Amino acid sequence: MYAKLIFRNAKRSAKDYLVYIITMTLCVMLFYAFLSISSSNYQPDIGSEYNVTMLGAGMKAAICGVTLLLLFLIRYVNSYMLRRKQREFAVQSVMGMEQKTIGWLFFAETFVMGAVAIVIGIFLGVICSQFITAMLLSSYGQDYKLSWMLFPDTVLLTICFFALSLFVVGLFNVRTIRKIKIIDMLYADKQNEPHFKKSRYMPVIAVLFNVILAWMVFEGVVKKHFYFDVRFAFPVHIMFWGNIIIPAFGILWSLIWLVRHKKWGFDKFVIGQCLITILNACFLASIPQIQGKYYVALGAGNLNQYLIFILADLIFLICGIIYLASSLLVAWKEKSLAHKYQGQNLFFFGQIISKLQTTTKTMTLICLTLVLSIFLFIAAPALTGWASGYLDIRSMYDVQISTRYNDVYDEADLPRDNYELVTEFLEEHNIETSFDRLVNLYLPNKADFHNRVKLDFPVVAMSLSDYNALREMLGMEQISLKKNEFTTQWQSIATEDERTEFLSGITTVSTDAGDLVLAETGYYDEPIGETVYNDYTDVVYIFPDSICKKLLSVMKNRYIITAEPVSYDDTKDLEAEFNSVYPESAEGVHYYMRTHTQQVNSTKAEMFVLKASMTYGAVVLMVICLTILALQQLLDATHYRYRFGVLRKLGVKENEIDRLVLKQLAVWFGLPIAVAILISLVVIFYFFQMIAVQISAYLGFSALMAQVGTIVGILILLLLCYFISTWILFKQSISGN
Amino acid sequence: MSELLKLDHIQKYYGNEGAITRAINDISFSVKQGKFLGIMGASGSGKTTLLNCISTIDTFSAGRIYLDGADVTKIKPKALARFRRENLGFIFQDFNLLDTLTISENIALALTINKVPVGKIDQQVQNIAETLNITAILNKYPYQVSGGQKQRCACARAIINKPKLILADEPTGALDSHSSQMLLSTMQSINEQLGATILMVTHDAFSASYANRILFLKDGEIFTEIHKGSNTRKAFFEKILDVLTMMGGGQTDVC
Repeated sequence: MYAKLIFRNAKRSAKDYLVYIITMTLCVMLFYAFLSISSSNYQPDIGSEYNVTMLGAGMKAAICGVTLLLLFLIRYVNSYMLRRKQREFAVQSVMGMEQKTIGWLFFAETFVMGAVAIVIGIFLGVICSQFITAMLLSSYGQDYKLSWMLFPDTVLLTICFFALSLFVVGLFNVRTIRKIKIIDMLYADKQNEPHFKKSRYMPVIAVLFNVILAWMVFEGVVKKHFYFDVRFAFPVHIMFWGNIIIPAFGILWSLIWLVRHKKWGFDKFVIGQCLITILNACFLASIPQIQGKYYVALGAGNLNQYLIFILADLIFLICGIIYLASSLLVAWKEKSLAHKYQGQNLFFFGQIISKLQTTTKTMTLICLTLVLSIFLFIAAPALTGWASGYLDIRSMYDVQISTRYNDVYDEADLPRDNYELVTEFLEEHNIETSFDRLVNLYLPNKADFHNRVKLDFPVVAMSLSDYNALREMLGMEQISLKKNEFTTQWQSIATEDERTEFLSGITTVSTDAGDLVLAETGYYDEPIGETVYNDYTDVVYIFPDSICKKLLSVMKNRYIITAEPVSYDDTKDLEAEFNSVYPESAEGVHYYMRTHTQQVNSTKAEMFVLKASMTYGAVVLMVICLTILALQQLLDATHYRYRFGVLRKLGVKENEIDRLVLKQLAVWFGLPIAVAILISLVVIFYFFQMIAVQISAYLGFSALMAQVGTIVGILILLLLCYFISTWILFKQSISGN
Repeated sequence: MSELLKLDHIQKYYGNEGAITRAINDISFSVKQGKFLGIMGASGSGKTTLLNCISTIDTFSAGRIYLDGADVTKIKPKALARFRRENLGFIFQDFNLLDTLTISENIALALTINKVPVGKIDQQVQNIAETLNITAILNKYPYQVSGGQKQRCACARAIINKPKLILADEPTGALDSHSSQMLLSTMQSINEQLGATILMVTHDAFSASYANRILFLKDGEIFTEIHKGSNTRKAFFEKILDVLTMMGGGQTDVC
């Protein structure tokens, strides 16, 4: 009998459960789609030089971690269903059914619906995983091919995960239902909006923020004490002083308010604190720019610390804005009678203000989560673009052997080897080489050999013939030098300012073999790999061969380009063999071998896991926010039906009611999204400034902007989907029929 | 006094062939301007259906309703909202106040919907609040005031636009006896002093005694009608009880 009731209930209330099923399906779909590529059955065609198993473990951990967030959404949508069905439960209780039984009936109902959602979700997940595969294949530089993505292990994991989640959440529901009083259930949908009392979370946040302000003041004073110099330019003075005075003013404002709080009210305090916060955020955001422009040293990790301060500032600002939104609306409404009484504004203000006042905390959380989601969306391409651009520069040669002399204290111990074992290995494995070059790096002055001070590390030199050989390998034009000339080769991450400053200081270089003057073309900055530079330097001199012969060779590198890509297994063996001959040691020459295949493999796998988990995290957070925003409106459909019903009875036309609904939803979705976009812009601006050098070196701003543009487009589409479906459902639930 | 409302052979059927329920079965009557008409009857007698038909919220199967000479049935659906707005005022059993607005805003809402100039709104709200003695609670929210005060607010909202006809559906249904008495006195004074025409549906004899004419409905038809005439309210109340007794089952209403 009960089984019949469960299925009949589930069938009858399918419309009620629509929101539940859609949310659950979305969760399952996202989970399955991303997890499927970590399946042991997944064998995409990414070429013999790559190994996809490297993805598995990292991906699984990342996906499961992010999915914990989905549990929150599952719990939320369950409590939504619980509230919707309370009246039904009440009738069942009144009829004499035990509350325990009702709880288990609801548990079974949601479980049936959940099962439906899991099946649909897995099916959609299979389709959706094609996008993830496309993303993976493009990461490995392959063309997209349709692949079968229904894997038993992933299906099992998905079913287990969601069944367990449903079970746990279901148990909570049973407990809740057992505890509610029948009378409360009976009048659940007749309840008025909870009384408009503001919660106490904002004062708590204000106290915490003041603690952070004190930390800012402390750091400001410390930094000024250790790093400030009166000879700095004026903007630097402002920066140093601003970082102390503005947070201090924030604390002072709190103290002033504490003295006068009976007269001023808490809103006034929040307004003042928000204004100070904006000013503070501006100052903090200007730090990377001022630091870069005026070469201000602030100590290691300082930018990260300032990033934390900015985040704290912005979090407070979001809390403040949402907290004040309803008060500001009330104030505006009372001041401007023309707006208050215009059209249906009175009703509209009532709707928005009451909702804002009762859901401040949720709105704030949504806003913060949205900021995080937008940031993840935008930061993912920047970070992976950086990594892939850097990979191109790091792995320009199929095999490269490099050396470091940092721990060599005797000239006799400097590297003299030709790495014959590599030649033998390649011959043994029938790997043909197109280019192979042993490159010596020399110290211009032998006296610098013992110079190991980090900031004063000597720039090394390369012979013209070696340099030209490398250029030939990489398909660049040859260069020439006169007998007494030299030129320079620069790393991509070196800025133009650094280069200009360096070159303006040295038009001649004195070496152990005589003086050289700077050639007409004083520098080259095409990437030729990062192992040709000495540690802590971004430049290498190019000297005529005749000069180099007389200098001290401190490093001996070898660069090979093979005719065909070397397979993953061969490179693994080669690296193992190399490491056994040249083991890592604390003293003496350090030898390193990098193979293109291994590097690309590990970096691409890491990059993909990073990109996929960031995108997954961003999508999950965005879906959570938008679903909650939508549910918040649909949850109160009964109140709204009543309120719009009153309007109808008072003679308001249907088209005006439609317009009101649209306006209400636009504000409801628009406010958190607008605040989140505003705040994200500041965070992203700061973040891009922090890694501006890397972006321009490895990715290019236009490429980044194109990617960001695409993401913004997708986000707008997602938002529109949510908005329109909420709008339709909302209109249905308040319609008079 | 001119005729404000006229119902001409109104019929309302539910259901389909074979199982037809006649909610209203051929009802005709008219109401003159400035009158306070009560409609009484047991549950299921069709009184609320009749009120809904008059207020254009519900449709009817046959007949015509004229308000101030205009045929309500001929008003296009799109113009119905405007018709209601300009001609009718409603007082409901469950008040129908918006919990998101203060009492004064609830009253002002009716004015803003009717596009009354902004400058006049506050003054009009103040005036009506004084008339109904609710000035002290103007800035409170509905959940902060008593049922009687809520209903007086609903009353203020109904009459503030000076509608031709005020329709009240069991206005005292959710009130205690003291609040009921106060509300009914208020309605009576609105009727007598402001000259408003009121049509009130009730099943409570005491409430009905405030009207000056009562229609009794039974099974969708007019059973009888009585006029207050020069009787005192007490005598009229007795008369109502007599009719209810005659209709059968009326005694229970008196208790």
